[in-house]
Parts: sequence; C-alpha cells; structure tokens
Amino acid sequence: MKYKPCTPDHAQCAPNLNDVAASLAFAHQTPAALIRETREVVDLARKFNREVVRPYALELDRKLHEDPDFLPWEFVKKANEWGFYTMWLPRLFGGKGYFMHSMSAFIEEVSSACLSMGNLIGVHYLGMATLAATWNAPLLLKIFRDVAAGEKAGDPRIISLAITEPGAGTDVEEPDLIDKGNITCHAQKVDGGYVVNGTKVFISNGHVSKWHVVIAYSDLDLPSQNTVCLLVQTGQKGFSFGRHEKKMGQRACPASELVFKDCFVPDSMVAMDSEQIKGLKKDAKDTFQQVLDYVLGATRAGVAAFGTGVARGAYEEALAFANETEVEGKLLANHEWAQCMLAEMYKNVCIARLGYVETNHHNASSGIYKSMLAKPAFYFIRYAPEFLVQKVFPKLLGTDATTRALRKANFDNQTEEEMNRTSGWGSMAKFSGTDLGMKNCHMALELMGQAGLRHDQRVEKHFRDAKLLQIYEGTNQLNRLNLFKCLVSGACPQSCVFHDS
Amino acid sequence: MLCRADKELKLVDGAATDFANKVLAPNREEYDQYPFGQFWDGVVKKAFDLGFFHLTLPAELEGMGHGLAGLSVVLKSICAQDASLGGMLFTNAMAQEILLAAKAEKLLEEKIVKQEDVYKFLLAFPAFNNPSEVRHVATVTKSKGKRLLSGDVQYVVLGGLSAYALLPASVEGSKDFSFFLVDLASKKVSLSEPIFSLGLHACPAVDITLDKAPAVLVGEEGAGKKYFDRVADRMAVAQAAMATGIMEGCFAEALAYAREREQGGQKIVNWSEVRMMLANIAIQAKSAEMMLSRACEAVDQKQPKWEAAARVAAIQACAYACEATTDGIQVLGGVGYMKDHGQEKRFRDAKQIQALMGIAPMKKLRHIRSILEKR
Repeated sequence: MKYKPCTPDHAQCAPNLNDVAASLAFAHQTPAALIRETREVVDLARKFNREVVRPYALELDRKLHEDPDFLPWEFVKKANEWGFYTMWLPRLFGGKGYFMHSMSAFIEEVSSACLSMGNLIGVHYLGMATLAATWNAPLLLKIFRDVAAGEKAGDPRIISLAITEPGAGTDVEEPDLIDKGNITCHAQKVDGGYVVNGTKVFISNGHVSKWHVVIAYSDLDLPSQNTVCLLVQTGQKGFSFGRHEKKMGQRACPASELVFKDCFVPDSMVAMDSEQIKGLKKDAKDTFQQVLDYVLGATRAGVAAFGTGVARGAYEEALAFANETEVEGKLLANHEWAQCMLAEMYKNVCIARLGYVETNHHNASSGIYKSMLAKPAFYFIRYAPEFLVQKVFPKLLGTDATTRALRKANFDNQTEEEMNRTSGWGSMAKFSGTDLGMKNCHMALELMGQAGLRHDQRVEKHFRDAKLLQIYEGTNQLNRLNLFKCLVSGACPQSCVFHDS
Repeated sequence: MLCRADKELKLVDGAATDFANKVLAPNREEYDQYPFGQFWDGVVKKAFDLGFFHLTLPAELEGMGHGLAGLSVVLKSICAQDASLGGMLFTNAMAQEILLAAKAEKLLEEKIVKQEDVYKFLLAFPAFNNPSEVRHVATVTKSKGKRLLSGDVQYVVLGGLSAYALLPASVEGSKDFSFFLVDLASKKVSLSEPIFSLGLHACPAVDITLDKAPAVLVGEEGAGKKYFDRVADRMAVAQAAMATGIMEGCFAEALAYAREREQGGQKIVNWSEVRMMLANIAIQAKSAEMMLSRACEAVDQKQPKWEAAARVAAIQACAYACEATTDGIQVLGGVGYMKDHGQEKRFRDAKQIQALMGIAPMKKLRHIRSILEKR
C-alpha cells in the first residue's frame, strides 16, 4: 500500500487550547458550591478512613486470603450506613445530590487507605453512570429510588456493570473491535422482552450487588449494531453467580462470574437497545459508542483517582518509614537520595491528580456532566424545593417522552470534537494515573526494603492492589490507542486505529 | 548458557528443570497459599534428597561443591516455576557461606552437615536485611564465659522451620556486629507466627525474640560486616539467577498465552503493541541471562573485579524482573491478575527478591562507593 507524502503541518499539529488546558478554559465556570462540596466530601472520607477503613483494611484483606469466598458484607453495610451509595445520586432519585465531579477526590482519599474499599464504593457508580448514560428516565427512577430505599432500610442495593466476557475483554470496550471479537452473551428478542444466555466475567462487586447493568447483543454476528443494555436483579430466574475469582490484590472487592441461562428480562428493564434509539442522528453503533464514551470519560477519571489514591498511600507509608528509620546510622529522611525519591513520589501523586481534575473539567464542559453543571442547572438541581423534587419531577421522569427528550439533548448535541476530548482525556488520566500509582508502589517497596514486604506495613497490599488498575476499564494499552484515536490521529490523516496486522 | 561445557552442571540443571516442571509448576497455586494453607513439606524434603540444599557446600563438608555457578543454574530453573523454593535455597546457602567466610567449618560439621532431617540441616537467616544498613540486631552479653543474646531480630527466613538460626548481634553501644549460631529450640527463644508477606509465601519468615538465649560466636567478634559484605557480593549472583529465572518463566507464559488468545479477530501475538511488550520481556530476560553468565564466571574463577560483575548483575536483573513481570501480567490482561496463573506470583516474587540482602538503592550506592574507594 502506498501512502501520500505528508509534510508536517505544524499549525495543524499544534494543540487546541481547549484540548490541553481545560482548567484554564473552563475552571471559571465551576460553581462555587461544587468546590465547597468537594472539600466536604474529602473531610468526610478522611473521617471514614480514620473510623472504618484503616482499622479494618488489613484484617479484611487477610480474611480474604484465609477464605477466598468470603464476601465483604460488613463493609458494604457500613458504607451504606454512611450514605456513600446515594451520595452522588441526584436528589430527585432520593440521593444526597452531590455531583459526580466531587467523587474523584473522595475516591482518592479512601483509596489512599485501601483500594479495595475504594472500589467497593466507587464501582457502584460505574454501574450507576452506565445506566444514567442511557437516559432511560423511567428505569433510572425505578432503580435509583430502590438504591435510596435500600439505604434507608439498611439493606445495600448496589449496582454492578457487566461487560467483559470470557473470550472478549478489550473487544467489548471498543466498538471498532467488537464485530471481530469472540462475543457470546446473547440477548434474543422475544415477546415482551429479551432472553439472555451467556457469561460475564471479572465483574467487580458482582456478588454484593443487587442490580446488574448487563451489556448483551441481539445479533452475535454484528454486535456493534445490536447492543442491548439491560437490568438484571440478583435472585432473578435464569441468573446466577459463577466463580468468585481469586485475585492477587483488591481481594475485598469481589470479581464475579455472572451466568445467564434463558434469563428473561422484560422490556421495562431494558435500558437501551437499537429499537429505542431509532430517530437519533447517529446509528446504533455510534450511539452506543457515545454511551461508552460518556461513561468511560467519567469513570476512567475515577480509575485515575484510584491510581492517585494508591500512589498517595504508597508515598505516605514510605514517608512514615523514612521519618522513623535509621539507615547506616542516619535518618533515612536525611539521605539526599531518599529525599529525591520521596520528592519524585510526591510529584507522581500530584501529576496523577492533575489528570483526573483536568478530565473532570472536560466532562463538565463537553461530556456527561455538561447538562448538569451549567450554573443555572447546577443550582436548580441542588436547591430545588422539596415538593418539586418529590412530587413533580418523578411524574415527568416517568414518561417515555422525557427519555426521548433527554436522549435527543444529550446524544444529538454532543459534537465529535467534544466526544474526542472527553474520551481521549479519560484515557490519558486513566493510564497515566494508574501507571504512576504502580510506579509509586515500586518505589515505596524499594525504599523500605525488608519492612515493606510485610503485610502489616500496608505497602505490599498497595502494590498488589495497584496492578489491577492498569488492566480494568480497558488495559492501559487500549487507553493509549484510544488517546491516539481521539487526540492524535487528527494530525496523522493517513492513520487508522485497531487495524494492526 | 550458564552450564558452559560442564557436564556435571548440565546434569544438575536437568534435574532442577525436571523438578520445577513436574513438582513445582502443577501445584504452584496450592503451595502459595501458605501460611493460610498447608506447608509444602514433601516438596522441601524432595529438594533436600536431590541435594539442592548442598550445592555450594564443599565436598569435604559433604556438599556437592558446585559453587555459585551450580547454585545459580538450579535457582534459575527453579524460580522460572516457583521462586519460593528459590528463597529457601538462597537463604540456606547464604547462611552456609557466612559460616564458611568466618572459617567456621567445624561448627558446620558439628551442628549441620551430617543432619539427615532437612529441618535440622536448614539454617535460618534474616536474608532480607543488611545489618549495616538497618540495625535489626540482637544485643550480646557475656555471662560465665557464655554469650547470651537478647532483643528482637526481625524477618528471619526459615526461622519457623530450622533447628538453628544465624543471627547478627552486637555489644551494647558498639557499631560493629558479629554473627551467632542460635539453637531455636531453646526456651529463651520465642518465634512469632509466620509473617504474611508480599511474595515467596512458601519460604516463610518469622520475627525472633531472644531473652538471654545461649549463642555460639561465628568467626571473629565484631567481624560481621566483613563476612556479610563478602558473602553478599558472592550471593548477588544467586539473586541475579533468581530474577533471571522468574523472567524466563514470565516470558514463556506470556508468549504461550499470546499465541492462544484472540482479540479483534486475530491472535493477540499479531498485534504489534503486544509484540512490543513481549520483545521487552525477552530482551530483559536475555540481558539478565548474559550478565548472570558473565558474573558466574567472574565469581567462580575469582577474576579481578568479580564483585562488580556480581553486584551489577543482581541490581540490573532485579530491576528488569520487576518491569518484565509487570508487563507479563499485562499481556494476559485480567487473567494474569488471577491466582490460577503464574504471572501474579512472579510479579510479587520479583519485587520480594529485589529486597534480598538490603534496600535496593543502597546496593547502588555500595557499588559506586567501592569504585570510589579504589581510585
């Protein structure tokens, strides 16, 4: 194949300011209340760490090594009591109405003490965000209100997201690959709903979730155009849990196999399928790509926050060690080389954090938070009178017309440039934050030597926990390719992504 | 390559490879469950019967006399499948080497080498600490001509298994330390539960608390640093061998998986980014093997600057192993993170091995210090 000679066009390659400096371009639009609430959730997370996470993290991890099938119900109930499963749920669904934007800072805090426990809270919002991104208003109302009711009843009703299949990991996260992938989770259309058959694997929080957002396919030969997003409930006929994976780290956060055998899902529990989205500007493949991009732009920032948290946890343990240990008769913190290592680790935490902060600015200006974070909408949603929230909004949301309007507003109005920006930045934050998390764990163990190897010193747990971050929500290799596709390929007009052979 | 033309070493290598593939690999996950599962007693006894714990002992001490090249050959093959046994071999060999460096052959002969029970033969030793760096040493006092040790010594590898431990201790207020042989059955010695560690789960360690426990001085008083430094340089070769073995196992598993697993309609080995990761692991493993081979030759032939060859091989092979095993999991994706594959264990073990004999950055400083002192 011959390629056209291509002279670099430096003007074309030069970065767009909106792409590379979101904080400069958009930070002034951030509502002051959002900054206040971010401080508030960080304080709350620190209190939670002191009272619950730090005292229990090692014990729970050890328990999972003694009994790999143990489920962390005690912690999930505690998080439910503290209100964390409805913290970022809008008030009209019975939640506390904090905006997802502030969740990253919360996740960083909890993960700095225990990444597994951070996941037991944060992954619920992966399921929630995916359901939210379908904009199926009646279903959102039903499921989210049930989550809120579960909090009041002391009965956690959290949500998982099931995408990965035994033969397809990367493929199911990338619509450009999925048609070539080994896809097996079939949703057959029948009267009144779908019948699902197949298996999902490595589903975080599966065993402790009540609701499962399941991505299946009505035509396995052309899954990209036939994606179906449905809600399945634990205990439902035809649905069961398979194996509870034995992971190296993040042991407290179960990775579950979900098994579907002739599992009937009624139309009322179908969040989105190709039939529902007819009439939108984009076809089914591109609309599902947009759903994924909306979700992953936000949740990959969340994974970056996990990475920042673990980078910080490793740094803080290494710092404590350097402050109390003499090496060759001199306090470790007074060795110049150790000072430089600690400075490097501190820098890694800050750089990782900047990644998710910047990505959240992109999500606010161009992505999933856009419609909610414009100042008038933000303050209205935050401070709307209770009677509107309880009586009027639910009636509005209960109609298919609202769903159509929400989908039109969110799917048809987002430009390709906005999609690329949020998706590309989500990937960048994810792979850089998690690589830096891993890097700090390596450095902490190197600095601490023998002491760092012990479970009771916490760093070895950070090290085991951190590695998974480089794998889930798309491997870091997939995320690099996605960044190339979204933010670099425009400067390589002859390039094509995911066609390597 | 390590075996050169030495037929005897080839035989040893063959036995170790066979043992690793047939005994260690099939039950890796089960053995790794310790201390929450059963200890692999049968495996340790088999390894003892095959002479793996006698490799570096000279023939006159009923050993096999294969030197560090022999130990390295075995460690490389064993660690490709399960580095926990490598950790046991390393610890025992290091303690033996310190006794030999201190010219304590008589002590070895009296207490250790004639033992037919593996646990009476094995020597416990705090293999992950350099006592000159972080002073995890006991305090020694003299009473009626006997030496008594008190205080704590942390992370004594094989401490919960062995009859004797070789422990560092110093006189109160002294900067120097000495090594002592301590009978772990003494009522003056108490052992913690096995320490739950990052890697090498089946190579257990304990914390030891001593309360005026009787001990036998090894070599000269106050010469502990001299013995440790000399042996640490020699044992660096063994450390490099362990890291190299882990990388070789890691590469083999990553390559086999990449040839089987499909993504985007083709085997993942055909995606060039996956090939790049495999290439990096292969290059790191081969580089380590070449360094190891050179270091073995230098150490066994006592060539000039053998210490530098050994140290550099260990520092670099361990760094490579940490990177390679991180990528080794990545090639397998989520599967590589699960306990039913070998990659996650190699990732933990590689990091643990990097900490053998002290803090990793301090080893670099020690290397440059030795260069500066000579000029």
